[in-house]
Amino acid sequence: MGQSRREFLKSTVGAPVLLSLGGAVPTFLARAAGAAKTENRTDRVLVVVQLSGGNDGLNTVAPYADDVYARKRSTLRLRSNDVLKIDDYVGFHPRMKGLSRLLKDGQLAIVQGIGCPGSDRSHPGAMRNWHTAQPNDPRCPTGWIGRTIDYASCKAQANTPGVFVGPIARPFALTAQNAIVPSIRSARQLTLRGKGAPSKRRTSDNPLENHVRNAIRGAHATSRRIRGLLADASRSGSYPSQGLGPHLKTVAELIAADVGIRIFFTELGGGGIGGFDNHAIQRDNHAALLGHLSASLAAFAADLSARKCLDRVALMTFSEFGRTLTENGRKGTGHGNAAPCFLMGSKVRAGLIGKHPPLTDLDNDAPRFHTDFRRLYATVLTGWLGLDSKPVLGADFKPLDLFVT
Amino acid sequence: MFRKRETLLIIPVLILSVLPLPVARAADALPARHELVPAGAVIVLNFSEPKAAFDLILRPKLIEAVESSPLYKAQVANKGFRQFRSLVRLLERRLETDWKSIVRRLGGGGATWAVGPGKSNLFIIDALDTKVLKEAHDLLLFLVESEAEKKGLPSRAGSTKYAGVTCWSLGPNEAHTIVGRRLMIANSPNILKAALDLRAKTGGKSIASLPAYQQAIKAAPSDAAATVYANTTVLKQIPPVAKALAGQNNPLIALLAAPITEALSNSTWLNISLTIKNDTLTLDAVSDGTLASTGAARFALPAKTSDGAMPNLKVPRRIAAMSLHRDLKGFYAAKDKLFGERTSGLIFFENMMGIFFTGRDLTQEVLAETGPKIRIVVAEQKYDPAAGKPSIRFPAFALVLPLKNPKKFSPVMEEAWQKAIGLVNFTRGQNAQPGLIIDRPVYRKTKYTVAAFTPPADDAPKDVDVRFNFRPTLAMTGNHVIFSSTDSLAKDIIDALAKEADRPTKPLAGMHSMLEMNGAQLDSIMEANRKNLVRQNMVEKGHTQQQAESEMDLLSAAIRTVSRVVLNIGTGKGRSKMSLEVHLNLPPAGSGEK
Amino acid sequence: MSSELQTRPWQRYEPSARCPWNLTRAAHLWRRAGFAATWEQLQTSLKAGPQKTIDTLLHPKGDVAAFNRTCDNYTRTVGSSEALRAWWLRRMIQTPHPLLEKMTLFWHDFFSVSAARGAGASQMREHVALLRAGAMGRFGSLMTAVSGDIATLLSLETKAIRKAKPDEALARHLLARYTLGAGAYTDKDVRETARAMTGWFVLRNQRRYFEREHDAGVKTVLGKTGKFNYADVVKIASEHPATARNIVRKLYRWFISEADEPTDALLAPLTESFARDFDVARLVETILRSNLFFSTGAIGRRIKRPVEFAVGIIRSLEASAGTTRLAADLASLGENLYYPPTGNGWAGGRYWINHATVIGRNNLAASLLSASGPYGGRCDPAAIALRHGQADAKAAGRFLASLLGGHDDEAFKRLWKDQPRGGSLSDRLRKFAYTLVTQPEFQLA
Repeated sequence: MGQSRREFLKSTVGAPVLLSLGGAVPTFLARAAGAAKTENRTDRVLVVVQLSGGNDGLNTVAPYADDVYARKRSTLRLRSNDVLKIDDYVGFHPRMKGLSRLLKDGQLAIVQGIGCPGSDRSHPGAMRNWHTAQPNDPRCPTGWIGRTIDYASCKAQANTPGVFVGPIARPFALTAQNAIVPSIRSARQLTLRGKGAPSKRRTSDNPLENHVRNAIRGAHATSRRIRGLLADASRSGSYPSQGLGPHLKTVAELIAADVGIRIFFTELGGGGIGGFDNHAIQRDNHAALLGHLSASLAAFAADLSARKCLDRVALMTFSEFGRTLTENGRKGTGHGNAAPCFLMGSKVRAGLIGKHPPLTDLDNDAPRFHTDFRRLYATVLTGWLGLDSKPVLGADFKPLDLFVT
Repeated sequence: MFRKRETLLIIPVLILSVLPLPVARAADALPARHELVPAGAVIVLNFSEPKAAFDLILRPKLIEAVESSPLYKAQVANKGFRQFRSLVRLLERRLETDWKSIVRRLGGGGATWAVGPGKSNLFIIDALDTKVLKEAHDLLLFLVESEAEKKGLPSRAGSTKYAGVTCWSLGPNEAHTIVGRRLMIANSPNILKAALDLRAKTGGKSIASLPAYQQAIKAAPSDAAATVYANTTVLKQIPPVAKALAGQNNPLIALLAAPITEALSNSTWLNISLTIKNDTLTLDAVSDGTLASTGAARFALPAKTSDGAMPNLKVPRRIAAMSLHRDLKGFYAAKDKLFGERTSGLIFFENMMGIFFTGRDLTQEVLAETGPKIRIVVAEQKYDPAAGKPSIRFPAFALVLPLKNPKKFSPVMEEAWQKAIGLVNFTRGQNAQPGLIIDRPVYRKTKYTVAAFTPPADDAPKDVDVRFNFRPTLAMTGNHVIFSSTDSLAKDIIDALAKEADRPTKPLAGMHSMLEMNGAQLDSIMEANRKNLVRQNMVEKGHTQQQAESEMDLLSAAIRTVSRVVLNIGTGKGRSKMSLEVHLNLPPAGSGEK
Repeated sequence: MSSELQTRPWQRYEPSARCPWNLTRAAHLWRRAGFAATWEQLQTSLKAGPQKTIDTLLHPKGDVAAFNRTCDNYTRTVGSSEALRAWWLRRMIQTPHPLLEKMTLFWHDFFSVSAARGAGASQMREHVALLRAGAMGRFGSLMTAVSGDIATLLSLETKAIRKAKPDEALARHLLARYTLGAGAYTDKDVRETARAMTGWFVLRNQRRYFEREHDAGVKTVLGKTGKFNYADVVKIASEHPATARNIVRKLYRWFISEADEPTDALLAPLTESFARDFDVARLVETILRSNLFFSTGAIGRRIKRPVEFAVGIIRSLEASAGTTRLAADLASLGENLYYPPTGNGWAGGRYWINHATVIGRNNLAASLLSASGPYGGRCDPAAIALRHGQADAKAAGRFLASLLGGHDDEAFKRLWKDQPRGGSLSDRLRKFAYTLVTQPEFQLA
């Protein structure tokens, strides 16, 4: 693996060129170049999974032992013998066996009470906040992943640091000012269909031509690696056959192909059409979605582990908001605010992180958040990808202690 | 030497030629063709009455129309096609007649094509006379040999004797023989031998001796021009077929197709026959597979044998109509079996239904209120000239469902409908789009709810917005609920239902799915949208306006050829049946043969 | 660089031994002032010389007005901005006046008005029609039209500019992006401009003015003082010398080079001239006719936008293509017409090219040039070679190498030698054309 990564970097940008660029070297590549030389901190990958529609945190990690919860959820309530217990207060939804096992294996952190200040609890407004990470600026033109990509890459390199995987329109989080962030549905889309080899290395006095030549060489290397990986049909993993399953399979393939993509964004819930917005007859639909999420994440972890890349990957989930505590008259729930996020990987500090928001102190019928979502972003940017989060988030947000060193 | 492709070209000629005039057959009685087909064949195609097909296809006006079509002209540019045509010319000269008569004489005695097991193929073609067959065959051998000679290669055509007849081979994948006026072609010598063994009665079993085959043949109309028998037990094991018969993920497809796929899954044979009468092609499919009262598709099974779907509703300007017998409650209750995956579309649907019906259980408290006789109507719209015509003209469409307890359930339905309109208005309002205004007028004593957009302010509006195609309407009349995209179609349906009530109409026994389409009306709505369809074609294919126009002309002509299509599917008495009638609008047959 | 170039960069280019008028320069001119040339256009240009060719590009012979009227008519009933994209691409492929479309695209990038924030198809159609109508006119008129255009306001998420709550973000965008450019104004200019713009509302996708919400007081904007309103500040900003500098700088990048940042001194003659009357046509003409434009510092010093890449292939091969699909394919390469990524336009330049977009460009070229598939084989290199008298494989190959990349004989032989032999002539040339358009040089404009 290390060997092939070295080759890849060499084929993309000559390591000496890179090192000679000194201060101008983008963070990603500098680390990668270092990695190629010393093989210490390898290319870490972040996978973000969006749960569209507003996931009901209270029935995902359910406070089964709480009387208030029991009273307010007449048809949706999960009882102590339903849940997969995490402690004597909360437990997983019964369909989330996969995540329950990951928790036991020390590969899952449940970050409780995450939310966004000043949320208007509308889908577009709340989702926009999570995407821009600038809740005070409704006109913010870029998304937080897009800014990360812009900030972390620079003109001189031509790799593709981030992609969206999924069939819906690319979520706003990936909107960048400069970089072109691809939207793909399968790894095969990043392979060349036509035949031919890149032209021989040649240096021109035209810097743009050199840039294009580098990129073409990199594109051929990317295509070759993905092709090689897809040719090995022996691995298929045990992913669910539709929805998030195939998306995460694509992500795993691209991580294993090691083509320099560091941030993956994918989605469950059809971009909001359907999905987690369970205003009515929530029970079965929500159960199916959670079962699907859990099975997909478990398959992803197992696949990465089999491909020996699990150590390089952290996956986080988020949803635009949680839901109200009180069940509505239609056996569903309304838009809320705080909810738990999951962080998965072999390097995460597993377990429950932070307190469950008290159900006796609600914000307009929904659990109150105690941790600003941008602290979670800062955590994955700084603690995992090793980037300075301030240029991306616009201010200093104290990272949470979520990774083991 | 003939390359494989060219040899293949000759075979269709011979096959085409295969359809018999029921004359002169007694003169030299041949054994029935299916008696020469080995029992292992999976699909057997039999042309028994070729005359009708010839009469249909070989009328001068039609040939003229085909020959002047751009598609045919494109074919003429093709080298292979030109070679084929010169071959036909040669044959015309030698037999001193035209190709149409050659076709009639070559194939006039009927033909059979058997496929399987595996990749084996066997053609049996009965000519009307031996002369035409001999000429065609001599020409073929001559061509193969002269081609080989031209290239300085030894000819691959060879002959040998087997079971008392001379067999020829033009290559490793071809073997044929001529017995009297019968031509037999196989794609390997062994298959031909098996057929000749059956002829000589020296071994093997023919398909004609199989009880399933006999049942299948019996199920076909006696005047069928052609029949296809399929051994579905074998067919079902072919992966793509198996996949198609397995569950669906799309609920709507499952609703429509589950009874059909289930019947086929339960079958051992399927027989499809084609009857041609008075410019009407009728395909009748019969199978021994039926719907089990315990199967997932039992929601389409009428409770009594005399029960079934209702006749289609008749409304003015109708493009298509569908009538189904489907117990929606039973359908939705079996959803995990019928469409296992919960796609976001499905979840969205359930969420919305939950909101509209205030948390009522969709299966037990909503769908359970509907009766199984579902009807759908699609019709072209007539627009109020004062309001203007939309730039893109959609047909109006409506769904008609019976309610089991109309008194109790009507208010629930009304509330759900108004909530749905409210939600549409809310969403449109957020995007600064004009909303729908609800009105509750009365028609024939039925109070209905129509939601409409305020008409544009202009005096003489032209090309108004697409939204003016829609005036969503809910009407409840008798025990029926009508969901219609326009109030005018809803009113037409109220009329149709009133007529139905006046003269009590019986359901069609055993039928669970019926579809009717009207070619002229379809053509009419396409014509109404022609400008847009042409423009769409231009940007989709990069065509000039002229190219796009001529593609539209072609499509339109093809649609006009079909005046009406009627499809009926049902099950009962140990058989499932499907009949597809295609009423054609062809150039008159009167000028038929020269 | 020749001394001529250093002393008189904006002087009319006259061919010389050092800087001859040849296929490379003719093709360069057609790429920059349009979307690449056909073989015949190249041959005619070689005979006519650069200045006469530029005359034709500025004032084409065909009936441009009639062409654009027909196109406008086609798009009248188009119901979505996605569908509009296809029609614009079709216009770029077919127009007798490619420079006009190129400039319309420039202004689309400049104003960066997006359909993603509420503007409907008819509003976007009107918006681009405004850009086309004003593309080669006076900047002030264009700016006035655009600043009052509903698609612009929706794209900038303007809602209600109340007296009590002036929209400083809008004012800043006007000054920073649309007129003076970053750094050429003060925060006070922004505040005062915002005050002048009060009273305008966007209600139900209509622009409305409410007198009582307008701040009628005296404002000082960019050194001028008066009871300014919305139109006044737009006019003041669009006539400011810094605005001339900003636009000249952007057009330098558009027509001459993305590889370097020009000095103010280099641009000074253009800026001074443009600031006199803000006549865009004259500015563009000066740039196109200049020594600098035809210098090695300009040739190949831009990276083709995805639109230039695809439309260039199609125009060079005198072909057509289904543009509905093409629009979607180009969007995935980063150029989604009618949907610029942010209010600051496309970053462009090097950003067009990364591993994924190179793969995307190659695969698009493969589809466009394939005999079948989504584009239906309508780009047929063999047919074009034959039309121009090249029937033999190698001669046709040489012809294509010249047409699609201006390769000399040596370069042609190098590329041709690696081509697979065998197969039909048509297929071989399709594959060779793919090789040509996936060369690094072809990605340069």
